[in-house]
Formats: sequence, C-alpha cells, structure tokens
Amino acid sequence: MIADFARQKITDGDAENLALVLNVLAQCELMRGRTEDARKYFGEAGAIMGNWQTSGGEAFSAIVGSESSKTWKGDPYEKAMNAFYLGLTYLWRGEPDNARAAFKKGILADAEVADEKYQADNALLFWLAGRMSLLMGLRDDAADFFAEADKANAFALDHGARGDRGNPVLVGRDGGNLVVLVECGMGPEKYAAGGQEELARFRPRWHPAARARVWLDGRAVGETSLLCDVDYQARTLGGTEMEGIRKGKAVFKTATTVAGAVLLHQAMKDHGDSARTQAIVGGGLLLLGLLTSTEADVRHWPTLPASVQALTVDAAPGSHRLRIQFLEASGRALPDLDQTWSVTVPERGESYYLFRSLPGLDRFPKANP
Amino acid sequence: MTMRFPLFSCGVFAFLLTACAGTIDRRIDPDENDPVGGAVLQSQDIRTMADRMARDIASSGVLTSAPRGERVSFHITSLRNDSGDPIDKEIILTKIRTELQRALGRGVQVLDRSAEGLEAVQQERAAKRNGSVAGRESARGNVAGSDYALKGTIKSRVQQSGGLKSVYYLVTFELTDLETTEIAWSGDYETKFESEKSVISR
Repeated sequence: MIADFARQKITDGDAENLALVLNVLAQCELMRGRTEDARKYFGEAGAIMGNWQTSGGEAFSAIVGSESSKTWKGDPYEKAMNAFYLGLTYLWRGEPDNARAAFKKGILADAEVADEKYQADNALLFWLAGRMSLLMGLRDDAADFFAEADKANAFALDHGARGDRGNPVLVGRDGGNLVVLVECGMGPEKYAAGGQEELARFRPRWHPAARARVWLDGRAVGETSLLCDVDYQARTLGGTEMEGIRKGKAVFKTATTVAGAVLLHQAMKDHGDSARTQAIVGGGLLLLGLLTSTEADVRHWPTLPASVQALTVDAAPGSHRLRIQFLEASGRALPDLDQTWSVTVPERGESYYLFRSLPGLDRFPKANP
Repeated sequence: MTMRFPLFSCGVFAFLLTACAGTIDRRIDPDENDPVGGAVLQSQDIRTMADRMARDIASSGVLTSAPRGERVSFHITSLRNDSGDPIDKEIILTKIRTELQRALGRGVQVLDRSAEGLEAVQQERAAKRNGSVAGRESARGNVAGSDYALKGTIKSRVQQSGGLKSVYYLVTFELTDLETTEIAWSGDYETKFESEKSVISR
C-alpha cells in the first residue's frame, strides 16, 4: 500500500518531494526482495540528495516564502542512510567497489553536519567500507576504515549515542561469513518548535524492539550490536544557517504584526488624512506579517529505523535456518516480531542479510560477493 | 493613481506569465555541461574519456604491432571504482570498447570475455558440434586467446569545508601484456568539480 502511494506521488506529487518519496519506495522494494528496483530508486534519490545545485528562484522562494518549497535533499543522517541502503544493494549485485563508493559517500554526507565535532561518528559506514575493501583485496584500506569505525563508535558513545563499548562486531572487524544486519525501531520525528514554529527539532519515536537475538539452526549464536544510532545522528546535526534566517523571519513577523496592529488601533482613534495613512500602513504591515512564513521545514524520512545493528557469524557453507528474535530493552522477547528465514552461506565469500523489526516480513535477498 | 494601476497590472501580468510558463523536455548535446548539476562524472566526461583513450591506444601502436597476416587480440577486464560515488561502470567500458573498435577497425581482435559472452559462446559451440544447429565448417576454430587486457580504476579526492566542496576524479586505464605482465600502455583522464551549497541547504 505504501509502495502504491509512493508510486502515485512520483507521478503526480510535488517535484520537490521526489527524493523523499523515492527513498520510501526503495525501502518498500527492499522489503519485497526487489533489490535491483531498490537500487535504482535509492540511486535516483541519492543523486538528488547529493546535488548541491540550487536555482536562485528556489533559494528566494525558500527564504522569502515557505521553506518547505525547496527541493528536499534530506539532513546528513538521512543522506547517510540512503548511502547505507544503496551500498547494500550494490553489494547484493556483486559490486563491492560500488558498494564501498556508496558507503564512502555516506561518510562524507555525515561530515556535512554543522557541528564539526560530530562529523565522523557513523561507525556502521566505516565498518562496512572496511569490509568492502577486504572484498576488493585492499587490506590496508580496510585497516584504515576499521580504525575509523572504532574511533567513530567511541566518540558516539562518549556523546550520548546508544551502543556498546568493545563492540564485538567492531572488535571482530572482518570476522564471520554470515553478516546479519538488523534495523530496530522507528527513526526520529522532525517537528517544529518555538513560538513561530521556526525551530526544527527531533524527537525519538517509541518502539518496543531494542535489539535482536540471532539463532542459527536452532542454536542461539548471539545478540546484535548497535552500529548506528539514527536518533543520535539526527539530534547531533547542529544548527543550520536556515534556522538563523527563520529566527530572523520570526522576529520580523512579530514586529510587523505588532506594529500593524498598533497603527490600526491608532487609526481608529485619529481622524482625517493621518488616520487614513495609519490604516493603510498598519494594514500593509499586518498583511506582510501574516504572509511571512516562519515555519521550519519538517519534512523527514519517516520510515527509517531508530538504529542499525549487526552480528557476524561463522557458519558452515550451505543453507541454514536463521531466526531473528527481537527483544525489548529489558531483554523480554517480542514474539510478534519473530522472523525465521532460510539463508545461504557460500563456499567462498560472505552473505549479507538485512532484517527489520516489523511483523510479517518476508525474506530479504542474499548476497554472495 | 491612474498611472500606477497599469504599471501594477503589468507587473502582476508578467509575474503570472512567468509562473504559468510550461515545462519542456528537450534534447541536449551530451558534450554540454549537465544542467541538472552534480559533482559527478557526466556524459561529457564519459564521451571525452572514451574518445581520448581510444585515440591514445590507437596512436601508441601497441595493438597494431602484430606481424603481417596476424592480428593482436585484447579484451577489457574491469573498471574498479575507488571513488566516493557509485557509478555504472558498464557505460564507460562499453563506450571505450566501441570507440576502440571504431579507431582500430578489423586490425585488432576485440574479445568478449564477459561471463555472459563466454556462456553464449560455449552454448552455441556445443549446439553446433552436436548438430542441434547448423554451422559453417570453415568457421570452426578455437576460442581466441588474448594478448592484452585493458583495465582501469576510478579514483576521487573530495575536499569539503563548510558550504564549499571540490571533487577531483582520476580515471586511469592500463593495457597489460598477458605474456610478460608488462604494462604496454597507460593513459588517464582527469576532471574536477567545485560546488557551493546554497544557504537554504546549509
């Protein structure tokens, strides 16, 4: 249903929301196992999100009018997530070099946050870029990426992200030939705050799933470790220049509205030409205030997870029965979200699988890069 | 007041005319700058790169140095993307192969060593040999071996500071002698982009 809605929006929806709609549609295709379609849509969305070109008219409209009239290109954490999915689809296609290119693009997008200290704290992308480097036979590059992943994880934990110190996935680096990636929960919601709704803020959305336990052929092989706290990535964006502009517009709106009201009030008391001039100017200011849009652009990618986690398993080549048991933060199992899949581990190489903490999902495709 | 009204009306009319302007799809020259933008390899880069590499290889004489009556054979192996942007590698390799064939003609043997190509050859040969399909006796022969392999890498260097970004691309191709491992020819293509982020995106 969501996919049909997204397809309709691509055809007759607003052009400025195209990248947002493409991302949602790509996720739907991913869940249906159509990785090539997903790659196409993530790629198209990524091209829009990564394009810095903006026309003067678009900039003018967004500054003077409503900010949400501009082309949605996403916040850095959304660009990073687009790159994560795009990279996986390239990996499943058997192109680890293009997968690594996508993860590197995500790392660079993460560096676009305004607050410089949070510019390289996405351990997931560094770790995946490291593993792709190994698949390409580039051990030195891999070592560099793994070292960066360790630093990113430590930094994120120090600054309030969820996760584990001594993260076993990061410690294991290139370990395991079955990589289980799990998306838990629902990603953050962007909302407008402030007296004139001029501030864009994020709040987490509640979801019972906090992590997952993985079973292989009826044997528990471990719990997933958090590599990317999407809530944390969103809330550490830092301020934007547009926020300053919106604050200025809010002050302007307040001042013109108040001045307009005062002049109209004064006009009612006065008589003659003076009263008429005050009424005209006051009415004009009031109108200008009312027409000034200060609301923050709160469009966001609503179908992202709250976190991306991983577990690497050493498994014998061949088919296996994989069960994902989602757990609450307290450790209590969530049977409604249980998923059992048939997975294949190749004689050589690695298999990557992606799971989401949603009920009733089918199997994701396998990869044998 | 009477003079202001026509002026105002003209302004509003001009604004409406602009706002109501339709959109069009039009054909553009693939060698022109892409109006959509984006600091990534574009059609003009692919065309220029393929054309330059083909001319350079042809003029080097490596692939036309076979003794009289023989032809040098080569195939394109891979293009490794080390850059920070995923790219459809096939589009580049196909363009280069086409330009090379155009530049060298029948003077060289360009071999299809792709998995699909080899599978198709094996299937067709087997069908001809077992009589399932007709085949010309005179066309029988061994699958050709390759004298040279052409491979390439795409690398990029990205610099980003505040609202400014620059991306430098270096695409290198090498022709390796498959008997001696000597790199018989190499050539590269460079391009650089600069982008400035609009205030509405910062």
